[in-house]
Amino acid sequence: MSSRPTVTIISPDGKPSSNTHPLPEVFKAPIRPDIVQSVHTGMAKNKRQPYAVSEKAGHQTSAESWGTGRAVARIPRVSGGGTHRAGQAAFGNMCRSGRMFAPTKVWRKWHAKINLGQKRFATASALAASASAPLLFARGHRVQAVPEVPLVISSTAFSGAAITKTSAALALLKAVGAAADVEKVKLSKKTRAGKGKMRGRRYRQRRGPLVVYAPEEDGRELTKAFRNLPGVETSSVYDLNLLQLAPGGHLGRFVIWTSAAFAALDKIYGSTTEASTYKKDFLLPSALVKTPDLGKLINSSEIQSVLRPVKGGAITKRTQVQKKNPLRNKQILFRLNPYAIQYSNDKLGSLKAESGKPKPKDAGFLKQVHEN
Amino acid sequence: MASNLSEDILWFISRGNHATLVKRKTAGGIQFSRDPLNLTNLHAKKYEGYANDRAIGIQPNPDGGLTLLTKKPNKANKPGLEINAASYGAGKSSRRTYKSIVNSTAKKGYRADLRTEAVARASAIRQLQRKKKDAKPAKLRGGKAAKAAA
Repeated sequence: MSSRPTVTIISPDGKPSSNTHPLPEVFKAPIRPDIVQSVHTGMAKNKRQPYAVSEKAGHQTSAESWGTGRAVARIPRVSGGGTHRAGQAAFGNMCRSGRMFAPTKVWRKWHAKINLGQKRFATASALAASASAPLLFARGHRVQAVPEVPLVISSTAFSGAAITKTSAALALLKAVGAAADVEKVKLSKKTRAGKGKMRGRRYRQRRGPLVVYAPEEDGRELTKAFRNLPGVETSSVYDLNLLQLAPGGHLGRFVIWTSAAFAALDKIYGSTTEASTYKKDFLLPSALVKTPDLGKLINSSEIQSVLRPVKGGAITKRTQVQKKNPLRNKQILFRLNPYAIQYSNDKLGSLKAESGKPKPKDAGFLKQVHEN
Repeated sequence: MASNLSEDILWFISRGNHATLVKRKTAGGIQFSRDPLNLTNLHAKKYEGYANDRAIGIQPNPDGGLTLLTKKPNKANKPGLEINAASYGAGKSSRRTYKSIVNSTAKKGYRADLRTEAVARASAIRQLQRKKKDAKPAKLRGGKAAKAAA
């Protein structure tokens, strides 16, 4: 791998052009799903609007407890008569028409403050992840036909408000192999489960590509061209948002860069040694461990040289093994009784007894036995 | 692969959450994979195509035969060019197919650890593609047999 990898700029017709751009430093930031997830959790909270039940709900009655002695529970009961409501329990969270338990309040803590350093780290990390094709596949983006990741389209495609119509935008996406991702989004549109349907969130669908442009060079007309394509979002390179770069806190959003936006990245994020032009006191984070490849680390001479040699070698006595039955398992028997090898080879176990009748005893024998 | 990413990091980032991962609560929470570059369909570092620079996939062709997919490690950031596909027709004998697969992968030092799995998957696909024999007509017995004979 060369020390400064380059990215080919794709011409508007979808073919790789001869122009390249060095990979901006931000793509070398450490990829940290933990930081991205926690920052995303916080940031996702910051668009919420307060809601609560009415302060009065469940308390708009003049109920009083009947006290003891009426053979009913001491819960407050609606006073009066002449209606079914009279005498019914009220107020309690267990009561019909009572207030809820711990009524929700508008002064709940809706928003979360996230440290700026963490937010910047998370954005850089999400950007770095967007340059990895396997992570795009992991998020489910259909990028099989894409010529290169990160996908950088020459800004000539957008210059002079060339892309103002959705048809032109779709044609461009088709040319660079990104149409499959839009198609996936289109097919994914489903009615939302639950009450969100009646709260302005009727459908849910996947996210498609994020088109990142530089407003000065590319103009803003392209946002209107892309906005009616399902799942496609646009963002200025100067205000990238983690909620778009890592939707759901999952790394690997499919980002389509214009070459002007791509070129601006080094200015916006700087490097690990040069401060960013736009972000005060910001240097890109660098990884704690330089080599991400575990196999390479373990097999490196630095590590291998300080490891103690392997104990035992090729033949190591194994402790804790299953006990084998030497009567059934020949090898175990031989280990216990080396003579068994010879015994087995000579087939001593299956020898017939020596043939022939036993010799008759001589005549004096019985006589001697019976002698008193 | 970029200097901030490796097979191991990829695996640790995406092992819990991946588009091809199939999680089920039954059977002890077994995890499968829909990755075309996975020979066993098991969600494991060794078998997952995305978590290895080199990976083998074997997929059936719609018209019989099968396709051997391999990853080119130097094209990791070019999804359009990353996968090499070689097709083996339905006419090629199974044993020769396995031999070709092994010759073009394991014997060249390309994921030699997947030799058994590659042959097993190719074999399973060939078995599936074999035309099923028609069931023998049931032999008639008793009254039905007598009626048929008459």
